[in-house]
Amino acid sequence: MKKLLFIFALWASKIVLLLCKLFKKQGSMISGKVATNIQKDFVKYFTNIDYSKTIFVTGTNGKSTTTNLIAHTIKSAGKKIATNTEGANMMSGIATTLIKNCNLFGKFNKEFLILEIDERSLCAIHKVLPAINLCISNLQKDQVQRNGDPDFIYRMFADTITKDMTLFVNNEEPRSRGLEDFAGKVVYYSLEKNDKTYEKDDFYTVTLPCPKCNHKIKYDYYNIENIGKFKCTYCSYKSVENPNVLITDINYKEKTFKCENEEYIVTYITPFYIYNYALCIAICKQFDINYQDIQKGFNSFVNPADRREIYKYKDKIIHYLRIKQENPETLQNALDIIACDNKEKAIFMGLYEIKDFPPAYSNTFYFFDCNFKKVVQSNVEQYISFSKTVCYDCANRMIYDGAPIEKIKVFDIEDDFDTIFEPLNEIKTNNIYIITGMKPYNKIKNYFKEGEKNE
Amino acid sequence: MNNEINLAWMYPDILNLHGERGNAQSFKIIADKLNIKLNIQRIDDIEEKINFSNYDILLFNSGELKVLPTILESLNNMSNELNEYIKNKKTIIVTGTTGALLANTITRYDKSTFSGLKLLNMDIKERTMVIGDDLYYTLDDGTEIIGSQIQMIDITLNDEKPLGTIKYGYGNNGQTTEGVIKDNIIFTNCLGPVFVKNPWFAEKILRTVCNQKGIEISEDTHPNYEIEIKSLESTKQFITSKVTNQ
Repeated sequence: MKKLLFIFALWASKIVLLLCKLFKKQGSMISGKVATNIQKDFVKYFTNIDYSKTIFVTGTNGKSTTTNLIAHTIKSAGKKIATNTEGANMMSGIATTLIKNCNLFGKFNKEFLILEIDERSLCAIHKVLPAINLCISNLQKDQVQRNGDPDFIYRMFADTITKDMTLFVNNEEPRSRGLEDFAGKVVYYSLEKNDKTYEKDDFYTVTLPCPKCNHKIKYDYYNIENIGKFKCTYCSYKSVENPNVLITDINYKEKTFKCENEEYIVTYITPFYIYNYALCIAICKQFDINYQDIQKGFNSFVNPADRREIYKYKDKIIHYLRIKQENPETLQNALDIIACDNKEKAIFMGLYEIKDFPPAYSNTFYFFDCNFKKVVQSNVEQYISFSKTVCYDCANRMIYDGAPIEKIKVFDIEDDFDTIFEPLNEIKTNNIYIITGMKPYNKIKNYFKEGEKNE
Repeated sequence: MNNEINLAWMYPDILNLHGERGNAQSFKIIADKLNIKLNIQRIDDIEEKINFSNYDILLFNSGELKVLPTILESLNNMSNELNEYIKNKKTIIVTGTTGALLANTITRYDKSTFSGLKLLNMDIKERTMVIGDDLYYTLDDGTEIIGSQIQMIDITLNDEKPLGTIKYGYGNNGQTTEGVIKDNIIFTNCLGPVFVKNPWFAEKILRTVCNQKGIEISEDTHPNYEIEIKSLESTKQFITSKVTNQ
């Protein structure tokens, strides 16, 4: 009876998928939604899925990029794969991926299933699709309005991981690595100390509690924010000395690095990306994909989820960096990019109220998880903070880290970009940075694209 | 009489949620504006034996519930010294979920329980759903406090005076009370960081401590909070628009 209901749900969803194609709707969720509405555990009834070749990628940051990278690389190696590249990472999105990759009787027709999974959906999806391979990129503060604190998500992960699973974790990220105790096999990936490694000695620097004993975690150094060689100040928990995948000899100029003495040439060369490459290499090695095939994938990889764009506007070069609001790591990464540029610059910060889930609210506390000092010390001509509600908090955060108040302009408006960007006419430097969340992205992009056209 | 204020920043790495290191920074900045010398000492090690008599303010920022039993174990080992500190009417400031540290009993989502320091007569129950929203309340003297709230716990005040009256938000448990004040123990659910967004609240606390210690603040010292006042007004406007559109 359940199998019959499954076939009915599958056919209905395949018709929906066909209609979406006919009417040129993307339909990344709709067909899956139809199917899971008809049968809640719809995903469970697909056949021919090899769970040992099913890979889940979850975590706070880097899920989409890493999933795209792994899927692209394995595909480049000649394997047949199914993946949710459109980022539909909850149950209905997963259902859609399977609907697209099966015959009329629900027989899955690919060798590998590589899925980005929303953190909160992991447990429910794993119940109906028991993947053997779980990659956790990192576990940080994010979307606190629904996730509360990181321990909330940690407990969900811990409840999902079983002893028959292989867990792929970042050797330098203490929180997600703490989940090692729950898995049968653990693969650690790691980055050697490199040119972009840094230490923190600021009095107000804070770390996190050890996931095993709750005492203080101390970092020897950082490769990116909250990720670096660490040790607990109380128990024996620390970065392992011999990780399974270790990236060495990182050359940022030449865009190369080594792993087991094999040199890789890549397109994206920030420490954040290199961790993603490291995880991809770890997965590929698990499935005996050789160096040449991995390099072939890296050569042709283009990340559709990259959040950095450059426009030319009048005599200015505009570097537009988008972040996930309420996510300190993405804001810190954007700030680090700016801080690395020692040329004189102006910075526009457009951080808004949070409207991801009802009720909308004016949370700005994630600003204080970030360090603005390096930016403030990086030759800034002017700061402009804009947004309707939280522009003053944003300006105040910069003042707290030493930005001179006379260099800060505040606009408590949102969509009036003629006014917001008017200072561009007075700013002397042509080196402009803009940081915003996702919300104003299209409008700002169009504003500068139109400007480019009118030149 | 020591002319300086000494603040112990309690376990800053372990109680580290929601950017609340900003609270420590704000006390330093506001003390500077008041021309008071304020020293901040980090208490990093849970095992450290604290000489409470060295401090005038203990600042506990918001942290995860799971770390509290470890902190409690340590503080319970120093309960005589801590009680002496409280008896001397010295200040304790606690924000967010860490408020549970001061309670009688904490009940976790899995029904397990542990005892708090019992400094405030209140009980705590962990929520299964997070509440994230703005929080706007007034103190007894009408001072307005605004910020955000990520509520992981419900708080039942048995016999304690609330710190403030809710104008918008969830507060202790979705009713009208926010936080607790008992002598110089101040607990608020408000994040923001609360003392960055509401420097007048930090100033009030610092003035009380100065008064106790006999430290004089010149009468014509009135710090400029222009940017924070603008933030307060814009957030109030935002809250009003939310309420109107509901």
